[in-house]
Formats: sequence, structure tokens, C-alpha cells
Amino acid sequence: MRSVVEELKQEYGERLRAEPGYPDQLVVSVAIDDVPAVAATLREWHGARLVTVFAEDRVAPEGAFYNYYVFERAGDPCYLVVRGRIPAEDPRFPSLASTLPAVNWEEREIQDWFGIEAEGHPNPRRVALHDHWPDVHPLRKDFSLNTVLPPFEGERHVYRPTLGEGVFQIPVGPVHAGIIEPGHFNFAVAGEPILYLQLRMFYKHKGIEKLFEGMPAARGVYLAESVSGDSAFSHGTGFCQAVEKASGLEVPFRAQVMRTILLELERIYNHVADIGAIAMDVGFVIANAHAARVREMLLALNEELTGSRLLRGMVCIGGVRRDWAGGPGKALGQTLETVEREFRDLVQLIQSSDSTRDRLERTGILRPEKAAALGIVGVGGRASGVDRDVRRDHPYAAYGNLTWRIPVYSEGDVQRRMQVRIDEVRESFGMIRDAAANLPAGEHRTPARPMEPGRCALSAVEGWRGEILYWLRAGAAGRLERCKVKDPSLNNWPALVEAVEGNIIADFPAINKSFNLSYSGTDR
Amino acid sequence: MMAALFKVMAQLVLLLLLAPLVSGFIKTAKARLQMRRGPGVLQPYRDLHKLLRKGMVIPNTASWLFSATPYVVFLATLLAGLMVPMVAADTPVGLVGGVLAVVYLLGLGRFFLALGGLDAGSSFGGLGSSREMTIAALAEPTLMLAVFTVAIGAGSTNLSQMVAAAIGEQWRFLAPSQVLAFAALFLVLIAETGRIPVDNPATHLELTMIHEAMILEYSGPYLALIEWAASIKQLLLMALLINVFWPFGLPAGWSAGGVAAGAGWLAVKLAVLSAGVVLVETTNAKLRLFRVPELMAVAFTLGALALASTFLF
Repeated sequence: MRSVVEELKQEYGERLRAEPGYPDQLVVSVAIDDVPAVAATLREWHGARLVTVFAEDRVAPEGAFYNYYVFERAGDPCYLVVRGRIPAEDPRFPSLASTLPAVNWEEREIQDWFGIEAEGHPNPRRVALHDHWPDVHPLRKDFSLNTVLPPFEGERHVYRPTLGEGVFQIPVGPVHAGIIEPGHFNFAVAGEPILYLQLRMFYKHKGIEKLFEGMPAARGVYLAESVSGDSAFSHGTGFCQAVEKASGLEVPFRAQVMRTILLELERIYNHVADIGAIAMDVGFVIANAHAARVREMLLALNEELTGSRLLRGMVCIGGVRRDWAGGPGKALGQTLETVEREFRDLVQLIQSSDSTRDRLERTGILRPEKAAALGIVGVGGRASGVDRDVRRDHPYAAYGNLTWRIPVYSEGDVQRRMQVRIDEVRESFGMIRDAAANLPAGEHRTPARPMEPGRCALSAVEGWRGEILYWLRAGAAGRLERCKVKDPSLNNWPALVEAVEGNIIADFPAINKSFNLSYSGTDR
Repeated sequence: MMAALFKVMAQLVLLLLLAPLVSGFIKTAKARLQMRRGPGVLQPYRDLHKLLRKGMVIPNTASWLFSATPYVVFLATLLAGLMVPMVAADTPVGLVGGVLAVVYLLGLGRFFLALGGLDAGSSFGGLGSSREMTIAALAEPTLMLAVFTVAIGAGSTNLSQMVAAAIGEQWRFLAPSQVLAFAALFLVLIAETGRIPVDNPATHLELTMIHEAMILEYSGPYLALIEWAASIKQLLLMALLINVFWPFGLPAGWSAGGVAAGAGWLAVKLAVLSAGVVLVETTNAKLRLFRVPELMAVAFTLGALALASTFLF
């Protein structure tokens, strides 16, 4: 990325300024109007991918908003953050969504939360704040957290009309029959086949990014853990890594390895549950019963290792909260052995069921070119040929010392999304075993120290769903000034819309489950 | 006259009380196979009791059809139940047409259920009704073909006479035509009772439902009537299968001793058939919706072959 920055400097000269960063995170500032050209150069000439875009309110100290565009490219562990200055008196930025559909929602979030207009956005309607919200911009600094809004009276969202003979709409949600989170799915169907699906999310918007502001970093860990409950450890680790980076804290290697083990345990327990759930949604109930049993063993192991079945409260700034006296103990090795055997049986059971395979294969296909264009990450991406994995691309914790195979398929159907999970669980067994065998002695945490005020830091973690990103700016007295959270679900909802097209509506639950996206993580 | 009335009352009570138990038995057996404790075999009774005491929510858009449907379905199914031999070959009621009347009484119930689903005005009801009718269009003729196979052997479509003829030839169920007819009827049973691989009775996923989607808008006593009718229909189809193909132990008439023995045998045979249903449900995934007609086409073919082979063997 360093050479890329040099080239950009030559092209833009004075207009592009390097900002303080880190060896693995370069930061440059440009005028906001230059952003589309810079982004195009980065994408077309350097094969870079726009990971995320978000904004920050710096009106009080600097008289401007900033937009941050995070880029990465294959084979390069370094991130490039392009910062675009938006003058406070003229709050608008050129939209990239028409050429980069991946940032569609994120640009609209900036519109809703900061009141900065995304100029030229193909669909500039509300997304994060629903249509009937009053005209407020909660992430601006002059919006108090204690603001009480009057009852909403605005017009509600109007869905694209469904026309044609025999074509009708099926609205599903936001409250569902099962125990799942709220989200609205509006299907246009012609008999059974789905013509298109309109999504409405953000029913669970909790203002987490606002809540982070002014919070002491140590308390922020708990908030990060509750962004998406099933990814508590990944989100917690992502947040802690960012704080550690901003405060120049070196995490002891022992803690890094322990984090790695726990991150993989989180991946395994969720993947096992998902594999069961996919089988469940095609009516192969017995596989789900077995998966639930295996998951329970893993949760019990989690509790033994961390005191929490869902791995909460374990990660902390500077390491992990609890040490394993000597090693992870017999529990890990023994449980892992049992789980591995049980998992093999579970996979065999599913694979021996022709009727299950018949339901999963060629169902909900997400084509690789679509997946690439939409910037799909994680399990959904790897099943559709997107060979991306933060653990390998931007090594963190102890992943630099481990070797494993990253499963990538190009068919992109439900079957392959399940297969990616199966393969990853198998790899994770090996990784955990490797890490546990080489668990170094030493401290399990270093005392935290306050972040340098004004310092920014980016951190990425491959959660079990995919790429989780944290970006923060340190405030005074070890508090947070701004904290951006990007859950992989935000990238991947559009993948679901693509994947269901042309499928029959009775297959939707299985397709949805094969992505299993987090509503809470999306809505924040 | 008194005897006839007694038979009607006895079979009515049997249908009403035994049907939920069969549903409960299947549910519990399934749960056990999945290593769950399950709700217990008496749960359907508790559910009915609960639903009958609850208030109802009726959609504003619903017409009289919505309210008439539960009664029509319940009564039609119950009447059909009275025409099927349960504990004795002699049935309490024998309408003109015999087994044909049974098939069409069930058809009447289904017709009203589909109307009720459409009448509520929600898109799920319509979805369920259209799916139900797609499947019924193949299940119904299959049922007819299988029944004709047996009727030809007995020389009558009167169920009492059909079963009486079966009692006379205990081992006839091993004949090719009978085996084929049994297979066809078993598939009809799976489809008509909304079981995996055709429908999933335990699902919460509205989008995959067939039977449940149709009745999604029903609540309280109406729902109780429909659920009850569904379990009676299941018992009726099972009894039909059992008594036509496995008539051993079934008395010809209603004598105290005979009926007691018949009831005992019925319980044993119901348990065996339920176990078969449970095994099918546990070892299979649900079929893709568009594959269901294929399965029903297989059932139809089996039925047609059964009918053809009665003339060959």
C-alpha cells in the first residue's frame, strides 16, 4: 500500500496529504470531491476493494465532517484509509454507490445519521432511520443522547408496487413466527416463484455508535460484545484491538493465542448450530437435534474456559480476563475430541440424506460475479468464489503463526454455504489444537493505559459470519470520541436479495438460514 | 333403532377421544427419536381444551365463509368417520356410495378450508390454499384408485362389505394389487395429514407451510374445531388403511366381546402404522414444494397399477 500511496501522491500532489497511521494502516486526506477519482484509481489500477465507508463529525474542533473510505487489496496486509474533508457549511459528498453497489446502505446511513447528502446516490431514501422519523441526525455531536423525540407522524415506507396478473405481494415480518430478530421482507411473487424481495432492516437500531461516544474504553468492551450476541467474542476482540492500537499497547503473546482459541471456538459453536438449522429448515429435524447436542457440549466448554457460555466478559483491553492455569486444561482436549467425532457423524448423517441434498443443491444461488460486485464477505462470499479471510489477509491475534485451508467454492448455493461451514469447522479443530499445544507461558494481560487523545485506529476480525471492522478515535481521559462498527451482515443482506430471485418462496427460509445474518449487528 | 343409535354414539366418542391421542402419540414418538422429551401424549387434549376456552380474532375482511368453515370441516370429517369401520366391520352409518361418500366428505372439508384460507384475505391463506389444492388434485384421485382396487375385490364400494370381504381373506393384503394399493394409500395418508416429506406439521416457517398456512388466521374455538377435525381425518385414514388391509382381529358385528377385541387390535395396529409415519418423518427431509406433485404422481401411478393388477392376478 505504501507504493500505492506514493503513486497517488505523484498524481494528486499537494491535494493529497499523508496522515499519521500505523505500519499496517496508512491514512491519507483528500478533498471530498477528489474521492471518486481516488477510489476509481485504487480500484481499477491497484485492484483495491472498498471495505467500508463511514463519517465523523468534527464540526466543533475543525469545522468539518470527514468521510473515511477504507481500502484493502489482495495479498497486502496493510489497510489504506482515505479521509475526505466535508466542509460543515456544505454537507454533501459524491456518492460512489452507482459504481459500487457495496456501499449503498453505508452511504445512506451517513445521510440519515449525519445529515450529509450523498450526491448522485441512485436510491437516496432513508435506510437506517425509518421514513417516518423526524429530520434529526443522531450521530452529529450537537444531538444529545438524552434527546426525547416527539411521537413519529411522518409517512411510512412505501414499497415498490407489484403489478401484473397473478403477481402479488407477501409481506413477512418484522415480527416473525419463530424466535428470531425483527426485519421486514416484502416478497413479490408470481405464484410460487419470487420475482424480487425488498428488505427493510434497522428495526433493532439501538444507537450503539452514539452510545460509544464519551464512554470509557474499558466499558466499551461490554457494549461491543452486545453488538451481535452470537459474535460477542469477535466483536469484543475487534474493539479491544482498536483500543490497544490507539494506546500503543503490546498484548502478551499468551493472550493472543488464547484469543485465537476462543475466536475459533466461537466459530465452531455457531457453524455447528447453523448446519443444524439449515437441515431443520428443510425438515430434516434429526440432524438439528444432533447439532443442538454438539453445540451444547461446546457451550459447556466455553463456560469452563471463560465462565460464560457465549464467551462474554472474557476479552479485555490488554489481553484476556482469566488465565488458564498451566494450559487450557484437559477439558479442551477431551471435549474437542468428542465434538470432532460427533461432528463427523453429523456431517455423515446429513450427507447420507439424499432428500436433504436435493433441497440444498442449486437452491439460492449467488453468482460469483454478483458476490464480487456487492462486496459479499465471510461464509456467503467464500461459497461464491470470494477468496477473502481477514485471518489470512490481515493477520491478528496468533493467526500469523497458524496454517489452515480456506474453503472457497464457486457454485454459491445453499449446499456450498453449508459446506464452507463444515470445512471451516474441521479446519478450526486443527487450529485450536495447534494453538493449544503451543500455548506460550507468560502474562495473560498487560495493564491498560489511556489512549493518546485524538489518535485513530482501525481493527479487523474475521468473525464467524465474516469481516468485522472497528474504527475509533480516542477522546480525552481515555474516553472514546467516535467508534464505528461494521458487522459483516451489513454487507451481506443484499446477497440474500440476489440469491432468492427466481427461487420458490417455500425455499426462502433455507436460503435465509444459509446466510444467517445478524439483524442486531446490521442495525446496531 | 336403539342399537343403531348406540353404535353411532360409541363410534362418535371413539373418534373424538382417540384422534387427539394418535396425534399426541406421533408427536411424542418423534420427540423421543430426536432425543427430546416431547410434550407428552396428552398434549393435544390440553391444546384443544385451551383453544376452546379462548377468545377469537376474526379478520375484518372475513365473510360468513370464514365462520362457517370450522363447522363444515368438523362435521363433514366426523360424518366421514362414522362411515369407516373402526372396531367392527359393520359401520354405524352407511350412506349411498359408501367409500365414495367418505372421499367426498373429506373433499368437502378441504374445499371449505381452502375457501376459509382465501376468505381471511391474508396472503398466507391464499398461498396455503393454492398449495393444498395442488396436492389434493393428485391425492384425491389416488385415494379413489386405491379404494377401487379393494372395492373390485369385494364387489362393493360399501366399506362394511369391503372390510367383511377382507376378513374372509386374511392374507389377501400380500397380493400384488393390495400391496400397491396399500403403498398408494400410505402416501395419501402422509400427504393428507400434512406430514414430512410433503408438509411439516411442526414448522414455524410461514413461507413453507401448506395446511398450517391455510388456517393461520384462525384462533380460539374455530382453530380447535379445525385441529380436531384434522386429527380425526388422520385417524379415519389410518383406520381405513388398517381395517381394509390388515383386518385380523376385527369382528364382523358389534358384540361386547368382539368390540373389545377389535379396539385392542385397533390400538396395536394404530401404534404400528404411527411408528411407520414417525420413521418416514424422521428419516426424510421435506420435499421441495415442486417435487411434491412428483411424489403424488408416484402415488397415483401405484394406485393405477394396483387397479390394473386386480384384473391380472
